[in-house]
Amino acid sequence: MSRYILGRIASMGLVLLGVSVLTFFIAHVVPADPVLVALGEHARDDQIEAYRKAYGLDRPVPIQFVTYLGRLARGDLGVSIRTRRPVADDLGEFMPATVELGGAAWLVALLLGIPAGILSAVYKDRIFDHLSRLGALAGASLPVFWLGLVLLGIFYYRLQWFPGPGRFDIVLSPPQVRSGLLVVDAALARDGAALRNALGHLALPALTLGLFSTAVIARMTRSAMLEVLYQDYVRTARAKGLQERRVIVLHALKNAMIPTMTIIGISFGSLLSGAVLTETIFAWPGLGRYATASAVSLDFPAVMGVTLVVALLYTVVNLLVDLIYARLDPRVRYG
Amino acid sequence: MRMLVPAILVLLSLLVAPATGPTFAAPARDTLVYVADISDMISLDPAVAYEFSGILVAQNAYDTLVAFEGEDLTTLKPRLAQSWKITDAGSTWKVTFTLRQGVKFSTGRPLTAKAVAFSFDRVIGLNKSPAFLFKDVAGLKEGDTKALNDRTVEVTLPKTASPQAFLSVLTFTVGAVVDPDEAMAHATGGDRGEAWLRNHSAGTGPYVLERWDSESRAVLAANANYWGAKPKVSRVVIQHVPESSTQKFMVESGDADIAANLTPEQARELTGKADVKVQKGRLLQLVYVGMNAKHAPLDKVQVREAIRWSIDYDGIVRSLLRGEARKVQTIIPEGLFGFNASAPFQANVARAKALLAEAGLPNGFSTELLVPTGPAPGGVRWADVAAKIQSDLAKSGIKVTIKETAQAQLLNIYRAQKGQLVMILWGPDFPDPDGNVTPFTDYAAKSIAWRNQYEDATAAKLAKQAALEPDPAKRKALYKELTDRILHQGPYVILYQPTTRFALRKSVQGFVWNPMAFAEFKTVSK
Repeated sequence: MSRYILGRIASMGLVLLGVSVLTFFIAHVVPADPVLVALGEHARDDQIEAYRKAYGLDRPVPIQFVTYLGRLARGDLGVSIRTRRPVADDLGEFMPATVELGGAAWLVALLLGIPAGILSAVYKDRIFDHLSRLGALAGASLPVFWLGLVLLGIFYYRLQWFPGPGRFDIVLSPPQVRSGLLVVDAALARDGAALRNALGHLALPALTLGLFSTAVIARMTRSAMLEVLYQDYVRTARAKGLQERRVIVLHALKNAMIPTMTIIGISFGSLLSGAVLTETIFAWPGLGRYATASAVSLDFPAVMGVTLVVALLYTVVNLLVDLIYARLDPRVRYG
Repeated sequence: MRMLVPAILVLLSLLVAPATGPTFAAPARDTLVYVADISDMISLDPAVAYEFSGILVAQNAYDTLVAFEGEDLTTLKPRLAQSWKITDAGSTWKVTFTLRQGVKFSTGRPLTAKAVAFSFDRVIGLNKSPAFLFKDVAGLKEGDTKALNDRTVEVTLPKTASPQAFLSVLTFTVGAVVDPDEAMAHATGGDRGEAWLRNHSAGTGPYVLERWDSESRAVLAANANYWGAKPKVSRVVIQHVPESSTQKFMVESGDADIAANLTPEQARELTGKADVKVQKGRLLQLVYVGMNAKHAPLDKVQVREAIRWSIDYDGIVRSLLRGEARKVQTIIPEGLFGFNASAPFQANVARAKALLAEAGLPNGFSTELLVPTGPAPGGVRWADVAAKIQSDLAKSGIKVTIKETAQAQLLNIYRAQKGQLVMILWGPDFPDPDGNVTPFTDYAAKSIAWRNQYEDATAAKLAKQAALEPDPAKRKALYKELTDRILHQGPYVILYQPTTRFALRKSVQGFVWNPMAFAEFKTVSK
């Protein structure tokens, strides 16, 4: 097992290298000048030249890439052209907000999607199944941007059940930063009011972001469950006189979770891409906003930094999913 | 299964729980919440900030020697300088300022002439984005600003610089006075406190920077040592809300007092609402079409004039922009010294055709119009304005192909003199007519005239003369002559001067938008 994990970690390195090569060269074939974007229309030629030199953009692209890799090997992600700060500092600042939002959205997706899928399969073609399938269809097809605005319009603006955008109330001071995850920080500080505040702000964006994944997970769980529920071993379990609840949870669900796990892993990617829009609507100061602003201003070092971090997260999540397979399915053996 | 139902219930209760308590506070009466897209904020150091949101914060935390107040960018008002005078010292200009007495920095230290010299030298030494205003526009070097005594500052300008333009530059954050002791106490590696001042303040302004959370908010608190009248609201929260629909929700629900980036449609939806009012703000930008004066047939004055006589300017302003702009046709925007209100052009197909025939093109010609992607100032898409121009020009027989290009790429083409017709905007770097006139008229400045290959020695000479003229009356006359000349000879179709709009809670009073794109919060109450 540990050999397998080591092998996977080594291949992750290759994947990251591939991602960095692709991103770097794609970013450099864009027919626009990042320096002009940074300095604006009024910049003079000498300013442009000085800037280009300062960021090493005056050298041939392959040399720029080798220099970048050399720095990367030393853990240096470079300096952002837009914010003029080390990319690592920027990532450290914006990452926790996205991790908190993405984590909450994932939780929403799991806690709503899996039960909905199971109940849909168990009560196939009954009213719950129809409603759940309709909900899943809506969740999978509603654009995140629209959904976010509607939720904000109804639950914040009209009903005033939830607070407005941002991670914390504008007029209050957030808890002292320890992890950067406000919910965790508030809990660590044992500040009940701050915790409620942070959770309240998290609810609507997490629901917005999580709904697409909820729908996909619900549909996958339902179809996997349906397939499993008609297998011989389930029939045998029932014939042995086991309680229906035990049959479903202990016998059917465990096997149905195998294909669902893949979807849960993949849904991580959609959470990250959806985060861009969700963060915009809910003024969430996270990585999605940072990535968009960096891409728009052709900020190569920042784009590279975000891409590498996201690729790293994605590969780690996929590794974890593969390891969970082994736990769920005794036929899967690594090593 | 047994665990799932409770888990869902816990999740749902967590989601709904916040609604039941008074945890979510509305802004207090002494706190002003201003929501805007502040993603461009990268530093709040006045020697570094050159982005809209950074300037908004720095203008409220620092004072300048002189200032333009409210919407008026034509009358200089004393600020930290009680008085000033310009003297001709033969080979140089001397601008001497007498400082106001009894002014303290927020740190409690007194304002001195040495602090002014330190601040100006610091801008030049750090050489960040706004430094060109001192170095190039005013021709200043380190050491050119001297403290003659505690209250007198003397700045020596080369004769090639305009003292009037220098005074205008001084109204901008680049001219802010920083507490030298505070800056140097936090200096690291010869940065004169730049890293620290990125997210701290050390000025004499009505507010001090309490905190700045990147991509989230900047909070200003009233400066207890402020020399002027106490600000009416003691805290200002500038909250980052990138999406304009969200800004609208916030101002309607009372969570925000001022929303800065509403679209014209959103502003219209708010008209007539009981708790919200909409206020317009002037901008100094000009949206224009540049015509490449060396690209046939645009090299012919008659052809350029025919294009100007083909466009339905009133239609663009009234129908397309729904009044979110003003028809301006000269190169100095309304609000700046030297503005020339002359606007002779309107859609006149017969006249345009006659001009084309005079140029030897009775059947018209074909050309390409380069436009940026995305929204144009005033709230419409660039492509929509381009489509209107295309249909207007078609009536005169000019066939236009619209090429929509990302702005960064468009600028590459434009700066390489490779455009035919290019639609874009220009805003001056400092509130002086020279911020527009030299770029638009002087080929050697390698700016707009250069991009459009417009070489006009007379215009360039007039521009230089007007810039350096210290007598306002004579200066005004020179700008009148020059703007009239460019109106007909130049390679520009000035389309409009956009306005911006704000949604304010009805209780908010005293909010005035300075056309240089900031507001002074000290006058605002709620």
